[in-house]
Amino acid sequence: MGLREYVIRRLLLLIPIMFGVVILIFAILQLVPVGERVSIYLTGPKDIKPEVIQGYIRMYGLDQPVWVQFYQWLRQVLQGNFGYSEYFQEQVLTGLLARAPATIEIVIYAAPIIVLVGIWLGVNAAAQRDKPLDHASRILSILGTSMPSFFFGVVLSAIFIAQLKWVSSGRLSYQMEGLVPNMINIGKWHQYTGLLTIDSLLNGRIDYFIDALEHLILPVTVLVFIQTATLVRVTRSSMLEALSKTYIIAATAKGLSRKEVIYKHARRNALIPVVTISGLVIGGMMTGLVITETIFRFPGIGNWAAIAAQHFDMPIVVAYAMFSAVVFVLANLIVDVLYAYIDPRIRLG
Amino acid sequence: MEKQGSEENLIQIKDLYLNFYTYDGVVKALDGVTLNLKKGEILGVVGETGCGKSVTSLSTLSIVVPPGRIEKGEIEFNIKGKTYDLLSFKDATMRRVRGQYISMIFQEPRSALNPVYTVGDQIAEVFFHHRREEIINAAIAQLKKDLEKSSRLKSWIRKYELSLYGKMLKNPKALSLTLALKIPIVKRFQNRMKKEARELVIEMLKLLNIPDPARVVDMYPHELSGGMAQRAVIAMALSCNPLMLIADEPTTNLDVTVQAQILLLIKELQKKFGSSILYVTHDLGVVAEICDTVAVMYAGNVVETADVIGLFKKPLHPYTQALLESIPRPGERFVSISGTVPSLISPPTGCRFNDRCRYTLEMCPNVKPQLVEAEKDHFVACHLYNEGK
Amino acid sequence: MSSKGKLENFKKRMQPTIKETKFVLKRIRDSPLSIAGIMIVLYNLIIALFAPVLAPPKLYDAYLIPRDPSLGYTYIPNPPSLGHLFGTTSLQVDLYYGCIWGTRFAFKLGVEVIAVTLLIGLVLGMLAGYYGGLIGELIMRFTDVILAFPGLILAMAFVAALSRVPGWTTINAVMLSIILIGWPGYTRLVRGEVLRVKTEDYVEAAKASGASDARVMLRHILPNSIYSVIIVASLDFGGIVLTAAALSFLGLGSPPGYADWGRLIYDAIPFAATGTQYWWTYTFPGIFIVLFVLGWNLLGDALRDVLDPLYRRK
Repeated sequence: MGLREYVIRRLLLLIPIMFGVVILIFAILQLVPVGERVSIYLTGPKDIKPEVIQGYIRMYGLDQPVWVQFYQWLRQVLQGNFGYSEYFQEQVLTGLLARAPATIEIVIYAAPIIVLVGIWLGVNAAAQRDKPLDHASRILSILGTSMPSFFFGVVLSAIFIAQLKWVSSGRLSYQMEGLVPNMINIGKWHQYTGLLTIDSLLNGRIDYFIDALEHLILPVTVLVFIQTATLVRVTRSSMLEALSKTYIIAATAKGLSRKEVIYKHARRNALIPVVTISGLVIGGMMTGLVITETIFRFPGIGNWAAIAAQHFDMPIVVAYAMFSAVVFVLANLIVDVLYAYIDPRIRLG
Repeated sequence: MEKQGSEENLIQIKDLYLNFYTYDGVVKALDGVTLNLKKGEILGVVGETGCGKSVTSLSTLSIVVPPGRIEKGEIEFNIKGKTYDLLSFKDATMRRVRGQYISMIFQEPRSALNPVYTVGDQIAEVFFHHRREEIINAAIAQLKKDLEKSSRLKSWIRKYELSLYGKMLKNPKALSLTLALKIPIVKRFQNRMKKEARELVIEMLKLLNIPDPARVVDMYPHELSGGMAQRAVIAMALSCNPLMLIADEPTTNLDVTVQAQILLLIKELQKKFGSSILYVTHDLGVVAEICDTVAVMYAGNVVETADVIGLFKKPLHPYTQALLESIPRPGERFVSISGTVPSLISPPTGCRFNDRCRYTLEMCPNVKPQLVEAEKDHFVACHLYNEGK
Repeated sequence: MSSKGKLENFKKRMQPTIKETKFVLKRIRDSPLSIAGIMIVLYNLIIALFAPVLAPPKLYDAYLIPRDPSLGYTYIPNPPSLGHLFGTTSLQVDLYYGCIWGTRFAFKLGVEVIAVTLLIGLVLGMLAGYYGGLIGELIMRFTDVILAFPGLILAMAFVAALSRVPGWTTINAVMLSIILIGWPGYTRLVRGEVLRVKTEDYVEAAKASGASDARVMLRHILPNSIYSVIIVASLDFGGIVLTAAALSFLGLGSPPGYADWGRLIYDAIPFAATGTQYWWTYTFPGIFIVLFVLGWNLLGDALRDVLDPLYRRK
């Protein structure tokens, strides 16, 4: 098919899918009774008065047929208004942007670890089949896929946070957390990225850097543990498949060392299907974030969505769902294109 | 056909025993295999699937697919007048033999090539491994020429490249070299080396009558036809002018017309390069076509060895006879050998062909027959020819 | 034909099936992990079946965990003791009862969810695969949309919305949402299998001999497409229970006092925040979850290893 046609086709498919996503979300919203649904359209605390609400209901046609409602809602979503959250007392979009850096910080540390460790373990476990490393990695993957992340997280939290008191929950220890807003006011702290580890270095505060890093250890560990297990499994099986091919014997017959055969010839072939799986791993991470952030009270968007769901704050839940879908679909698209690119059989048709 | 080459042995497989340790039991795949390949000759190893011919050929390269293990035996290889037991070689030494003194070509060429690397890259690999100095020296020579006519800046760069190549020759494990190989732009210095290798590859491809070699070099295996891919594989195998070539059913998966071409090509190349060939096949027609001598294998044993004419004219072993009879001839009815190959997990004591043999004697189920010279240069492992011994 | 002849005939017809069963059993016996998986699942099954015996119900809904009046309604959990083998959690809810009936609940939920999901998946997948065309495309696009969301997140949104609708208990909402996120996967799987089997000769033969569409689908295509579905379903059984537990853990699942492992861990969160002193409140439910999911994962792996060569041989 050739790479260009493949990419174009996938991009075109994106449109109906995103449209479908929006429709599905809207359908879910329709389940909620009108009185509560109107919160999607509110813009501030001043709007929570009965007359105003009635006004909104009429304005956005919530007493009108479905398609009119859909049109109104879609229009304002595209303008960036996802509604107002009564529980958090803020606009949904503002809340999302405010909490995104915390989540991004976890992902920045977790993702490379997952990828590097997962692939390394998978490749080497297959290369040393039935040796200790292989057995260890198999146990790890079996445990990782059977253990719920929340149980793992709760146990870690009980031991390290509550009992041993090595770290506190959240992004920084209590005293430091309280000081940051003050420092921003006095001008002693510039918010460069919102990522505490980087910002602290840029502001020259090593103590904050270490503190932030310490607080990241547990959430990242929990997130990594589960996702790595899946990745190891897939990589290992893909590597075993690659190692059973004739070109491996042919390469050995040329005089290549075992290391070269494994890392130069087998691994590249094994990684091709693994690339496709990474899309799913990203999806799994987004799910894992909701639970992990909740356990460690990390103020990211996962935690935000979880609390919102508990309090039935639909604007946030729905916004998070749409956000996740967009990220997931884009990630899968990139991954699929990457796959088509690295495999010469697909790239050159 | 006139017998090629000298009377000297290139490789002698002596009494090779190989087992596979599987879940279902121990498969006694090779039960004392003995084979000789003389210099310059083409030896055909014939047998049905599972008789152990491929495993035997791989053993000469010390490539034993797990869960296999060589239990006993010697493989004597003659390099420049001295004999070595290949089975006693450590892996590092064996790696110098593979691809350089003994090469192999495979049944399905596009599977024998790695789909994610170009054909050129894979053939170049052999050069990088075994003719490394040649390539580096050629790169250095080219560098020196360029050095003379380059500007100040470029000559500084080229002097650095020269030093790196020099290190590659004399001190390959030097730290400065290892570092240079890892840094993104710096490691581009290897491009000269790659260019030299590429030239060598194109030469090889030309030798194999591959049209438009400069283009084929950059193609991926799946882009080539079966015949072209097999030529590329042969090019890869012959790159270092090996003393011995193992051909594991190289034409089985090809179209008949292409088959004929490749066979012809192999014959020509053998004459040109003077290599000896161990040709593994189940096709007696191919054997008749290009082999000088033949070894027939059954269930892990060599049952008969002879020159090709002698074997076809006067097959001695009952299995060989049955094989030749079973070749379909127009006008005649199909003849097949009754029975099936015995289980190699619990093989019969005595002759493994016994229960399918029409001449079975009293000792056959109990005593394993050894290879004896029944006629001049014609060996058989059968009690029929053992009388009085 | 005499009855003896009929018996002979029957034995002959069953031969291949008997051979394959023997093959399957041998492969299972050779793999310790498979045996472990089967044992664990059996163990869970027995607990689930004998729950009323192991922990006699005392309230109107057997899944509501009884409290011990002698201990009052204090908030502080009590450690394991003779009367309460696994201790109690907040408001003196008995953990032993909760874990035992939690097993039963897990099976109940899992079976109900998988049954509906499989049904939808088989029907839609078969239709999409067999007829293709517009129907097939529509179904596929629909699955694409649902699969565009990471599972748990869509389930969260759905449960949150559904709970506002009067008449829906949270548990039913949870089950419906898991069905919602589950059916697309099976539909795609079944469709893939149907596409593969559709071109086989025996299907062409059946159609040529005038069999109706339904007959072809049910008698020929279905039995041959079902192996991978079974494998995936068994691997998925643990996943379904995990998702339900995760939803409960987020507070979106079972109501308070319900025998649901996830819920029990949710109740244990405040105690985990004080340290390891109330370890029993989360450890016991956690171990039960791990064992349950582990058993099904191993069983699914075993089935895959066993059925795969069988399935390829066909």
